[in-house]
Amino acid sequence: MSVEIMAAGVDTELVIDLTAWDSFADMKAELEKNLHAIDNYLMGSFISIDVGSKSISERQLREMEDILLDHGFHFKDLINNHSAQGQNRISINKNNAEILDSADTVLICRNLRSGQKIFNKGNMVILGDVNPGAEVIAGGNILVMGALRGLAHAGALGDEKAIIAAFRLSPTQLRIANHITRPPDGESIVVNNPELAKIRAGKVVIEKLKI
Amino acid sequence: MKSRVLVITSGKGGVGKTTTTANLGTALAMQGKKVVMLDTDIGLRNLDVVMGLENRIVFDIVDVVNGNCKIKQALIRDKRFEGLCLLPAAQTKDKSAVTPHQMKNLTNELRKDFDFILVDCPAGIEQGFKNAISGADDAIVVATPEVSSVRDADRIIGLLEAAGLSNSKLIINRLRNKMVKRGDMMDIEDILDILSIDLLGVVPEDETIVVSTNRGEPAVLENSSRAGEAYRRVARRLLGEEVPINAQEDTSNLVDRFKKMLKLAR
Repeated sequence: MSVEIMAAGVDTELVIDLTAWDSFADMKAELEKNLHAIDNYLMGSFISIDVGSKSISERQLREMEDILLDHGFHFKDLINNHSAQGQNRISINKNNAEILDSADTVLICRNLRSGQKIFNKGNMVILGDVNPGAEVIAGGNILVMGALRGLAHAGALGDEKAIIAAFRLSPTQLRIANHITRPPDGESIVVNNPELAKIRAGKVVIEKLKI
Repeated sequence: MKSRVLVITSGKGGVGKTTTTANLGTALAMQGKKVVMLDTDIGLRNLDVVMGLENRIVFDIVDVVNGNCKIKQALIRDKRFEGLCLLPAAQTKDKSAVTPHQMKNLTNELRKDFDFILVDCPAGIEQGFKNAISGADDAIVVATPEVSSVRDADRIIGLLEAAGLSNSKLIINRLRNKMVKRGDMMDIEDILDILSIDLLGVVPEDETIVVSTNRGEPAVLENSSRAGEAYRRVARRLLGEEVPINAQEDTSNLVDRFKKMLKLAR
């Protein structure tokens, strides 16, 4: 398997080596295969793609980025030793990644399990459950189309207007901007309605989600 | 009183390291000691759940060793006992996020404020184990009366000795007296024969452990729990009291029960 862990430690850097494949279709297939093989607990981490000397168009790069996002990973860098042209692409791509990160909403179509952590600068929509021990962190709002039982942090970059909504809101902890709350001790209240958490008058409040 | 760093380890998984840490920590706090429990099972943290403190976690052990926060910020004060604290493990990292050297510094720092530092060790003999034992003065080895568990405990005791921890104590967990009497389970003598270390306590198999673990309330808080009683005894023994091991709690025969009552009356 050609997944390398470059520097083991806190900020583990993952690099997927696609230098051995020639056609873009093969590269994509190999990328998919690699992503399946990566341990789940690394989900949410940033991954670089090494394409060696091949030239990659901007559109193709987008496609690979999308594949990464589908699997719950973030695109970090394109490693391309294709002389000046390649370097140029890297810089183009970096800008794209930034725009994508700052404004876009990321859709995660899977359940987040304990130990998995996902970060996005923009909004985050999760089509699935967030289990206890999983962490969802977004610069914007968080919407969980399922049960939120883990930790969610909306407005992580300081936005107090951010909201967290879930079909079943029973988190271990909720954070909005720099406010941290947890459910009261003792008996848990089971609510079977979609709910929404936001800051009102300096406090995190939970209310029924009116659609 | 000089503070003690005790690592709770077993080698084999699922024998009750975390349960033992939670109950022992709570029992020591009940005796008025200042106790901190360290979860070093990074990536598979459980101690916070067993203690019912999961939803209070903001910072964890990795944040502390990396200097992202102060120790005091990461310590979670128990909701029941003033003197009991938990330093949770990180869930989204792995064992390599901490080094043995960092662990040693951390436990030495905690010595200033606590009488007991209980380190909950992960299963296995790899990096997580090496981290957990690096700052410890002594080890408590947990084993169940099964050949595989005793085998692993033996291996662990060897590794502990190699690391300079030669005064390990044993807790036998999940002993079923009825099965021992029938000869279907290893008895205490068999286990001590193989491991030849001091026995610190014998904890009977007890359904209340499952209930209390799921509820996040350690069994020592439950007066009627036999396992809780056993852990309270272990705590007193750790504090230097002479308490009988008392493994024969599950006495089914009348004479034994009568003898026990007489003993209690005395």
